[in-house]
Amino acid sequence: MSNRPVPHAKLAAEFLEDEPHRHFHDERLWDMRQKRDEQMHIMPEWQELREQASRLKEHTLAHLPQYLEQFEENARRNGIHVHWARDGAEHNRIVEKILKDHGHSSIIKSKSMITDECEMREYLEPKGVSVTETDLGERIQQLDNQLPSHVVVPAVQKLTTDVAKTFAKYYNTDPNIDDPHALAEAQRNAARPVLLSGDTGMTGGNFLVAETGSFVVCTNEGNADLSANLPNLHIATLGIERLVPRMADLGVFIRLLSRSALGSPITQYTTHFRRPKKGGEMHVILVDNGRSERLGMDDFWTSLKCIRCGACMNTCPVYRRSGGQSYGSVYSGPIGAIIDPTFNARKFSTLPFASTMNGSCTNVCPVKIDIHEQLYKWRRVLAERHEIPFVKREIMKMAGRLLAQPTMYRLAISGTEVALKTMPRFVLYNYLNPWGKHRELPHPVKETFHSWYKKNRLNRTKAQHEETQA
Amino acid sequence: MSDETMSARDVIMQRLKEKKSPQEGAYPLPPVVTLGDQDASPERFEASLALMGGRMLPLQDGEGIEQAIKRAFPELRNLCTAVPEVEGTLRIEDLETHEQADKVDVMVVRAAFGVAETGGVFLSEVELKDHLADVHLAQHLIVLLSKDELVGNMHNAYQQRSEFRTAGYGVLMSGPSATADIQGVLIRGAQGVRSLSVIWA
Repeated sequence: MSNRPVPHAKLAAEFLEDEPHRHFHDERLWDMRQKRDEQMHIMPEWQELREQASRLKEHTLAHLPQYLEQFEENARRNGIHVHWARDGAEHNRIVEKILKDHGHSSIIKSKSMITDECEMREYLEPKGVSVTETDLGERIQQLDNQLPSHVVVPAVQKLTTDVAKTFAKYYNTDPNIDDPHALAEAQRNAARPVLLSGDTGMTGGNFLVAETGSFVVCTNEGNADLSANLPNLHIATLGIERLVPRMADLGVFIRLLSRSALGSPITQYTTHFRRPKKGGEMHVILVDNGRSERLGMDDFWTSLKCIRCGACMNTCPVYRRSGGQSYGSVYSGPIGAIIDPTFNARKFSTLPFASTMNGSCTNVCPVKIDIHEQLYKWRRVLAERHEIPFVKREIMKMAGRLLAQPTMYRLAISGTEVALKTMPRFVLYNYLNPWGKHRELPHPVKETFHSWYKKNRLNRTKAQHEETQA
Repeated sequence: MSDETMSARDVIMQRLKEKKSPQEGAYPLPPVVTLGDQDASPERFEASLALMGGRMLPLQDGEGIEQAIKRAFPELRNLCTAVPEVEGTLRIEDLETHEQADKVDVMVVRAAFGVAETGGVFLSEVELKDHLADVHLAQHLIVLLSKDELVGNMHNAYQQRSEFRTAGYGVLMSGPSATADIQGVLIRGAQGVRSLSVIWA
C-alpha cells in the first residue's frame, strides 16, 4: 500500500469535471438526507433515541473486554466458532485456514466494509480462492476494481450508463441498457448460479449481542441471507466495536440505522444469527485492526461508536461534491476522515481538511459522534506531526502571526483590498494560494467594517459610554 | 509475555485493558427504554408494509387461502408450502436441493409475529422447517400472519418476543428484497423474493 498522501483535492477536482456525474451524486445523497429528515420529523422520540444509542455505545466501549468475553462464551455455547484477529492480515489467514480445512475455494459474500478494510479479496484471490461480491453495488465496484464509494451505497458515484458498460464487459449484456431494472435483473441472473454453487458464505454484521451470543446483519437485497444460508459454511467478520450488551438494546439501534441511512423505517432484511443451521458450521471472526489503539485515544475513541449508516456522508457538502473515490480509502466522507488517519496518518493526512467545519455531520449522526470537532482535532494532531504540506503549513503560520496582531492585521487587510482590486489574476491565483484553485477570491469591498465603525460609531459610542458613566 | 507467544485473543484483551480512555465508572449501563408509538394495530402494520413495498392479499368472500394465492398469481406452476392451510404443489420439507427451490414460483409460510412499526414479519428455522435459504430462492413470498401476533414497535419486539433468544436463525422481512444501487432507482425484487404479500390468517 502506497504511503503517499491521498491527493483528495485533486481527485475531487477530477470528479467535478463531469457535470452529469457531479449533479447526480450531489442530488442523490441530498435526497437520502431529506428522506432521513422526514423520518426524524415524524418521531418525537428521535433525539432521545440518539442519546440512548450514544450512551449505550459509550458504555459498551468502556467495558469492551467484559462484553467481548460474554459474547464469546455465549456464542461458543451456541456452537459458533469464535476467532480473534489482531489485524487484517491475521483475519485473512484465519479465513484461508478455515477454507483449507474444508477443501473449499469459492466464497459468496455479502457486503462488509471490514473485509475491504482487511483487503481480504486481494489476499485470497492470488491463492486460488474466488470471492464473489453478491451485493449489487459492491459487485459493480468489484468488477471495476474500485473501493466502495459509500458505506451504504457503494457505487453511488456511478450512473446507469457506467453500470451498463461494466455489465456488458462481464455479463455480456447490451452496453446501451439505460433501464436500472434491466441491469438489476442481469445481476440477479448472474448471481444465482454463483450463489447456488459457492461452497462458503461470508457476511459482515452490524451488531454483536453479548447477552445471547448472536450477531445481526441488516441488508436490503436478500443476498446476505442467501450467502449465509446456501452453503454449509458461514463465516462472519465483525469489528470488536460492534457489540451491544443486551438484545433489548437492538430496539434503539435498529430504529435508528436505516432511517439515518436511507430514510426507510428498517432494512428489508434484519437477520439474527445465533447458532449454525442444521448440519452447518458457523465462524465469527472478531477483528481488532487498530480499534484497541483508537480506544486509547482521548480525542478520537468515540469514533468507535459509529454504526456505519452513512448519514454524515449524505449531508456533507464536501463529500457530495467530491465523491467517495477521492478519499482513496475504504471509509470515505466525514467518518472516513476521522478514522482513516488512525490506520495511516501520513496517507490519510489530507482527509481531515476535506471539510467546511459546518458541523452537519455531527448533527445527523445517530450515535452523536462529534465528527466535526474530531476533524478539527485531527488537523492539530497532523500539524504537530508535520503531516501537512509545506505551503499550507507556512500559510497557516503566517496567518496565525497576522491574526494575533490587530495593527498588522488591519494593515494587511487594506493591502489585500488594494491587491484584489489591482493585481492581475496570475499573481492572485497560483500555487501559493490553494484556496483560490476552485474558488473566486472575495470581491474587494469599498470599506472595511473596522474603518466604517471608526468613522461613524466609535466617537458616538465613546460619548454615550462616558455619559452613562457620568 | 510477548505478542508472539500470546494468542491473538489475549493480545487484544490486554490492549483493551491497558487503554487509557474511556474510564469504566464514567459510563454506566443505561436502562432499557421503550420509546415512541407502540400502536400494535393491524392498520398500522398494513400501512408500514405498504411503505416497505409489501402488500396485503385480502381474501374475497368465501375464498380460501389457496384460491386467493392462485388468483393473485394466475401463471403459478410451483407453489411450495410450509403451512397446513395450503396444499400447494410441493411441501417445503420435500425440497431436496436448492436448485429445486430456485424453481419455486410462490412460497407460502407462516410468520411467528409481525411488527406494526415496520411491517416486518419474523421467520425462523421453526416456520421454515430448516429450509433457511429456500425461502429466499423462491420468486414470490406469501406470509400468513395472525392479527393476535403483532407487536407495536422494535422496542416491543425485542423485549416481548422470546424468538430472538431461541431461534438459531431469525429474519425480520419487511417487504420484498430491494435495491437502489443503480443511479438511486428503487427496485423492488433484487436478489431475494420479488414480492411479499401478507394474508391475515
